[in-house]
Amino acid sequence: MRSLLLKAGATALTLATTVVSAHYVAAHLKNPAAPLHPTVLSVAPSVRQAPDVKPVTSTYAS
Amino acid sequence: MPPDPIGEHRFDAMGTTCSVFASGVSSANLRRTEMQVRELAARLTRFDPDSELSRFNAAAGEWTPVSPELEALLRESLRAFEMSAGLVNVAVLPSMVAIGYTRTLADGPTDASPWSAQSAPPLPDVLKVAVGMARLSPGVGIDLGGIAKGWMADRLCARLGPNALVNLGGDLRARGAGPDGDGWPVGLGETTVLLDDHAAATSSALRRRWGDGLHHVIDPRTGRPAASGLAEVSVVTRTAVDAEIVAKAALIAGAKLAPAFCAAHAEAWWLRPS
Repeated sequence: MRSLLLKAGATALTLATTVVSAHYVAAHLKNPAAPLHPTVLSVAPSVRQAPDVKPVTSTYAS
Repeated sequence: MPPDPIGEHRFDAMGTTCSVFASGVSSANLRRTEMQVRELAARLTRFDPDSELSRFNAAAGEWTPVSPELEALLRESLRAFEMSAGLVNVAVLPSMVAIGYTRTLADGPTDASPWSAQSAPPLPDVLKVAVGMARLSPGVGIDLGGIAKGWMADRLCARLGPNALVNLGGDLRARGAGPDGDGWPVGLGETTVLLDDHAAATSSALRRRWGDGLHHVIDPRTGRPAASGLAEVSVVTRTAVDAEIVAKAALIAGAKLAPAFCAAHAEAWWLRPS
């Protein structure tokens, strides 16, 4: 009897977890505006970075 | 001895913003650079039917006399094609027209029929350049918007002396030690880099866009706006014309190939996925 109760409990827990997970996934659809991957920055030693320096201009002039 | 003060001049030309910086150069000389930009742009625009480029396009099928400047740009176009394995191809004018980019975007795009766009022919097959002469194959048109600004920035920066920066719509060339002696601080992607005798450019599918998926970066393999998984590519190279070529080729090549291409041709790069 106890074994049967344990099996029933485990089954119920599994089903509940499945339902809750499915609900969570459906409620958190991917933001289409979010980038799929992180940006990539690579800088060779011949170019120095100075993120704290205010640029005089940029490649986004237009 | 303190460094010479940096002179600065900003202006709008070629449908974009431009800026010129130099030390030890008079304000009159900086303004003269603007005049040189306007003079070259007037000859190289495809939006004026009387420009040298438009007349060259209209004469497709015939050997046509070309100015030294247009000849140099046509040779650069052939080099860009080879360097980019065909991804930078100035013979995309029919595609530009098909997507409605028939006039300056300040005047707005016209009706688009992108489904009619076709892949661009291999440039060496349709463009022949000789000394003072050039020939386009019949039915071919070229748009120099992908390399002209960088080429002009290289030339004009050299004229401004040993410590100068010329930025033509984001295609820029720097020479010398900059305002504080450690290079010209330039915004690149989400960081700042110090450039001395370097150039930089960004190619973007996020700007100059309109309609559903329509923008000005054409993939010559399809004849349609590039959809490669990359939204922007910024690079640092030694010349501005190379920066334009590398950034555009990487943007069209896409996220898988761009890192290797940039590693081969650039000293710094920033990739922004779509």
